[in-house]
Amino acid sequence: MNNQQMEEYKLLVEGQLPWPQTKNLMSSYKDRDRFFKILKIYQDKVKWDEKILLPIGEHLFIVQKGNQRLVKCTCGHEFGDYRKNWKFQSVLLVRNKVEDLESIYPHSDVCDPSWMEIREFICPGCGTLLEIEACSPGYPITFDFCPDLEGFYSEWLNHPL
Amino acid sequence: MTETNSMTAGLRKRLEESEVLLAETGCYDGITTLECRDMDPLKFETIHMKLRAGCVSAREIARRISASPGVREVGEMVAAIYTPEGDAIAISNGIMVHVHTMSRFIKWMIKNGYEHDPGINPGDIFANNDAFIGTVQVPDVMDVVPIFHEDELVGWAGAVCHELEAGGITPGGDVALAQERFGEGLFICAEKIGLNDKIRRDYVIRCERNLRMPIYWILDEQAKVAACFSMRDRVLELIEDVGVDFYKKISKEFIEEGRRTQLARVRQLTVPGTYRSNTFYGHVTKGKPGFQPLGDPDWLYSIPLKMDIKLDGKIVVDFEGAQPWGYHSMNCTPAGMDGGMFVTLTQHMNFEGLVNDGAWLATQLKLPRGTWTNPDSEFCATATSWALLLPAYGAFQRMLSRGFLARGFLEEVFVGQVNSPMIEMGGISQYGKPFGIAHFECAAAGSGALAIKDGLDTAYVGWNPESDMGNIEIWELDMPMVYLGRSILPNSGGAGKYRGGNAFMSTWVINKSPEVRIVTSEHSSRVFDNAGMCGGYPAPTCQKHRVVRNSNINQRAEQRKPLAHSTGLDQKDLEQFYQGNQQIIEGPHITAPMKEGDIFTHSYNGGGGYGDPLERDPVLILDDIIQGHSSQIHGERVHGIRFKGSMDDETLEIDFLQTQKTRKRLRSERLQGAVPVMKWFEAEKIKVKQGDFAPEVLKMYRAAMDLSEEFGREFRAFWQLENGFAYPEKEQKDINNE
Repeated sequence: MNNQQMEEYKLLVEGQLPWPQTKNLMSSYKDRDRFFKILKIYQDKVKWDEKILLPIGEHLFIVQKGNQRLVKCTCGHEFGDYRKNWKFQSVLLVRNKVEDLESIYPHSDVCDPSWMEIREFICPGCGTLLEIEACSPGYPITFDFCPDLEGFYSEWLNHPL
Repeated sequence: MTETNSMTAGLRKRLEESEVLLAETGCYDGITTLECRDMDPLKFETIHMKLRAGCVSAREIARRISASPGVREVGEMVAAIYTPEGDAIAISNGIMVHVHTMSRFIKWMIKNGYEHDPGINPGDIFANNDAFIGTVQVPDVMDVVPIFHEDELVGWAGAVCHELEAGGITPGGDVALAQERFGEGLFICAEKIGLNDKIRRDYVIRCERNLRMPIYWILDEQAKVAACFSMRDRVLELIEDVGVDFYKKISKEFIEEGRRTQLARVRQLTVPGTYRSNTFYGHVTKGKPGFQPLGDPDWLYSIPLKMDIKLDGKIVVDFEGAQPWGYHSMNCTPAGMDGGMFVTLTQHMNFEGLVNDGAWLATQLKLPRGTWTNPDSEFCATATSWALLLPAYGAFQRMLSRGFLARGFLEEVFVGQVNSPMIEMGGISQYGKPFGIAHFECAAAGSGALAIKDGLDTAYVGWNPESDMGNIEIWELDMPMVYLGRSILPNSGGAGKYRGGNAFMSTWVINKSPEVRIVTSEHSSRVFDNAGMCGGYPAPTCQKHRVVRNSNINQRAEQRKPLAHSTGLDQKDLEQFYQGNQQIIEGPHITAPMKEGDIFTHSYNGGGGYGDPLERDPVLILDDIIQGHSSQIHGERVHGIRFKGSMDDETLEIDFLQTQKTRKRLRSERLQGAVPVMKWFEAEKIKVKQGDFAPEVLKMYRAAMDLSEEFGREFRAFWQLENGFAYPEKEQKDINNE
């Protein structure tokens, strides 16, 4: 594995890669084994041992734990089986009052809270804001992504899961 | 009169055969092996590049003929070369939305027997702007010419310009007040507008008599036809070089390779599975003059999307649960939905290699009949379809980006496009003549953030990958308004670890005109019609217009007093600087005409943010404040920054220690204030069962449940409601007529 390239990807993950190199990455042909390179960077970064199978958010990963495949935060908090919406295992702040909305949008016009609210899904382990939904009151919580993990590994990566 | 033409005999049958071959083999036109490419890959690429170069240069020729600043200045145009069956082989840069809409137009003519009547002959020119035949909205007028080699139809050349004036019930191109087709303006429905390489005089007369500003439309017609002739010449030159049989063979292989490239790109960049997203749009016109009472003046739409990425790389996007079409101008036809998909894919997946209709063939859109995505009445209006298309395809971009993120291609993750509030106007120009124009500086919104950096400020719209606001001086030539300023709108990008790109606002004074009617559209002021990702916030809702009628700006100018060039950070500069009738207008600006000395402001939209705002680098925040992209209070409240010093004496700096402590405290406060989702769910369930919502929200749910069994089933299952649960109609009675 090319060490210089791995250093570049580490900077990319940290948001520190200088723009000319980033632009080059965007414009170049994509490397075929990027997935496993990035996975290694994430695995080295986290402080827990479970094997990362798939990143699904800025802080969330699907990991192998025993015979379970769980959603796990960088802080180590676990959200349960990846086939179920992790948001149900999070904690929630709802902004549905004008003053609560305006505190995030100083100097700007905001939504009418009778038409729309902001839902902030937070990791119970570290207090990180993991995902936001802007939706009408009563709108079902969205399950953003349920990957076909088996198909991905076996048919696209040709790699055991 | 019915014409017959042996040169196009069997065209309809050929199109049907091609569709059957695609269905049977899964490959475009039944092409299972790419023989031309395999035989000589370099020749294959070279010939495609020649065709593409022909499209690009044709577009540039056209831009120099056009009188419209929309085409000349901001490039609202595209040109493409098609197969005889109407499939795009090569396209130019520009508004690539229309590559596939033109394809629909050509196929529509073939399926409707145009080879017999009105006939398809050398030198013919056909035009269309009917979205149910194949375009997005009335101002998107397309021209195509057939390409004949000796006595055989070998393809089509086509070009689209977005017209700045369409002759509708309100001036400009995006006719916001149209509630039915019959107010949208001048329709050209797959019409033969020219013979023997010449546009018909009677067609030009019709344009002259039905448009407020015919010079734009008519010269754009000349521009498009010139572009088509240029592409036709290039194709015929190429045929001279390589032979007609080889050209016919290779041009189809280009499309099949485009299809395969798209599938391969999906398998390379994403992860298979089911992705979901939703967005919303809120429309407010209650009490505004000119509104026709066919539908609700105020309404709310939810726009749910489900995307399946299949193991073969096919993308299937399903709009099940979308709202019904309505008596407003924001409906969209399947052609427009195709266009939105196509232009998004060309930016995210097909940005290299062969960009053509092959990409579209590798995707599938499910558009439920009767919804705004696929209306079951062709009387409905589509003049401002972008109002719903842009939020929808912004959500599509976020779904794709979750795939890029999962696959490790962080540099491709993009929070997406936002809506484009448009200004249309008409009245008496500064030259004392009637005029009408759409202002296209909107082609430069803030983009969504990326997973690795902030979004672009005032530099991106999804519908034109060559986003450009145009020069102020050019716009001032064509409208009786003088710019007081163009200003960055601080904090207009959504907050996040990486913020969304900021938008700008413009401030004008009406100049040398007794009457300017300004009508704006595509404002979602009551709800966010964009979103963030991974903890990033949506950008603010569409901002209100601030207006001063009968202002004293001319007196202030004569007295050499300072002028306000924007509304200022606190939105109070106009009131502080100018006397006059101060107005704040939510939603579309639909009101009485304005006149010389009146001041008008219009804001565009910023993009959504990415990641938790408490993780944003404090140095970036300080830089934003110094550059005018953000305010100090925003840094404090949203990002937990603590400052030392002051902007006033240029000593402002970050207190890193206090910032660290503050951010730790804010995380802790989040956890104290938040409730487990399941606890929230139990309380919310009661509200949902009681239908304890605003009337517009309740109507939105009822409409989606009425139209979509699946939406109703999922809604009831989610909230654990009994089978058959519905919101009764009687609770809706007064939305229209309060």
